[in-house]
Amino acid sequence: MKRYWLTLLTSFLLFFASLSLADSASLKPYQAGDWKSIIKSANGGPIAIHFWGVTCPACIKEMPQWGQFIKNNPNAKVVFIQVDDVSQDSMKKMLTKAGLDKANNYYIAAPFDEHLRFEIDPQWHGETPTTITIDKNGKATRKTGLVDFQKLQNTIGTRS
Amino acid sequence: MANQFTRSLSHLFLLSALLMGALSFGAHAQMQMDHSSMAGSKPKNMCQSVGLECANAATPFFTADGKLLLSWTANGVVSVAQSTDLGKSFTSPVKIAEHGKSLDAGADARPQIVVDKQGNVFLAYAFFKDANWNAQINTARSTDEGKTFTLPVSLVNDGSSQRFPSVLIKPDESIFISWIDKRLVAAAKQGGEKRLGGSIAYSFSQDGGQTFQAERFANESSCECCRIAASLDPKGIPVVAYRAIFTGGIRDQASQVILEKGSQPVRRVADDDWKTDACPHHGPSIAVSGSGKFHVAWYTQGSKRSGVFYANSSNQGISYSRPSRVGTERANVSRPYLYASGLQVWLVWKEFNGSKSAVYLKESGDDGKTWTTPKILTSTAGYSDHPLLLARANEVFLSWLTRDDGYQLISIGQKQ
Repeated sequence: MKRYWLTLLTSFLLFFASLSLADSASLKPYQAGDWKSIIKSANGGPIAIHFWGVTCPACIKEMPQWGQFIKNNPNAKVVFIQVDDVSQDSMKKMLTKAGLDKANNYYIAAPFDEHLRFEIDPQWHGETPTTITIDKNGKATRKTGLVDFQKLQNTIGTRS
Repeated sequence: MANQFTRSLSHLFLLSALLMGALSFGAHAQMQMDHSSMAGSKPKNMCQSVGLECANAATPFFTADGKLLLSWTANGVVSVAQSTDLGKSFTSPVKIAEHGKSLDAGADARPQIVVDKQGNVFLAYAFFKDANWNAQINTARSTDEGKTFTLPVSLVNDGSSQRFPSVLIKPDESIFISWIDKRLVAAAKQGGEKRLGGSIAYSFSQDGGQTFQAERFANESSCECCRIAASLDPKGIPVVAYRAIFTGGIRDQASQVILEKGSQPVRRVADDDWKTDACPHHGPSIAVSGSGKFHVAWYTQGSKRSGVFYANSSNQGISYSRPSRVGTERANVSRPYLYASGLQVWLVWKEFNGSKSAVYLKESGDDGKTWTTPKILTSTAGYSDHPLLLARANEVFLSWLTRDDGYQLISIGQKQ
């Protein structure tokens, strides 16, 4: 009888655990002025900031590859910023699906306009996906479109 | 002893289960909040209303009797209001539709509105209809000069995605609509083909938008996230300009004449060589002048040129002039928009200097051969929509929605 209760409780526990895992993607709001602190968070080391949108087909296609990259390089500094004006629920779903629910995730919490982009890169007009990579010497490179993950590995990778 | 251990273990499990349940419930409640309101973790400075003061995009149309109809999207709601004093004051808005976070509020999306000579209004907008971000274009009509509207209905009957409607009303009062349609791409994907992008689809309506002809495709391969520009030539024939996808995934501009009997060949506006899979959210603008010349302005990040450019064609797009740069080189230049009448051409665009967005204007009196020195029409420190141009009788206006300085309707010139 006890064993029966134990099994039941364990299944309950697993059920709830999986439920809460599904929603575990946490998103921080990103606003004008936040760029400096994001760059600083790398402590002078290399960092990649990936801008993506839930409604952008090329982004959706690429996100699982980012998930794989993070899995292979658990210590690499990568920040993900979602730019579309959509529900947080839909962002979380997509992040979880790509294995990025535990990644360093932000969403744009103000109009995604020229004001917000200027401090990031005055020449960037908001194409998605866009990735800004800052190497160990502090040199920033903006790449619009799909990323060459081998190149990214060489710049910010942590796999030995 | 063993029993006691099992008992405490089961207590522990019970406690954990309850705790996890509570946590999971909390997460669920948070999700619900995200759905139902903008509150929660949203910063305080967000504009929350569905009024014009919080709109992300506003589209104007002047009726035959000179009234301004303005349609806008704000926080998931599509609205229309009217002004008889050139945008200084508006009637109380009519709510057309409410889609919350599913409304397409992307940088190049905007509601479309046209009015015929009898005051019948036709409106179109897009929203995301399912969890896979497939969009649907809805249309709504008013037969009482915009006081009340029909319930929005889907433009086409198709399960894939339709987005970015672009609407013109012809002199014979028929309506031309073009949009980005993803059914061909969706079908190709089902067949195992790896394909991005969309297609340019179009249709005509002879009854004010109540019914449309079966849709046709002008170009099977276009960018999926850029507005389509459209203008009528002197004979009232629609000409469209859009970001096409050329061989090798090159997303450069194309123009195309759309006759009622079918679309004419795809003409490349310029060889910018922008090879990208990205979504630029930055479509072109086209205006056909009285001579039938096509004037096109666009944004590119191509390997051969980067920035905003202008070119024209005197032969229906078969060949275009050499692209000339619009705005200051290396400045943040965006959102060009053209208007033409007779041999006069007006070109506006946005430049951002790090603190203010300004609308610049240059004009040509000789069909785009020579241009005046650019001048600043107005500027704003906060969020702003694309600058748009339109005319009331002989007067040409800039329409510009700004968050800090309100909706701007500025007279910029006279037709000769």
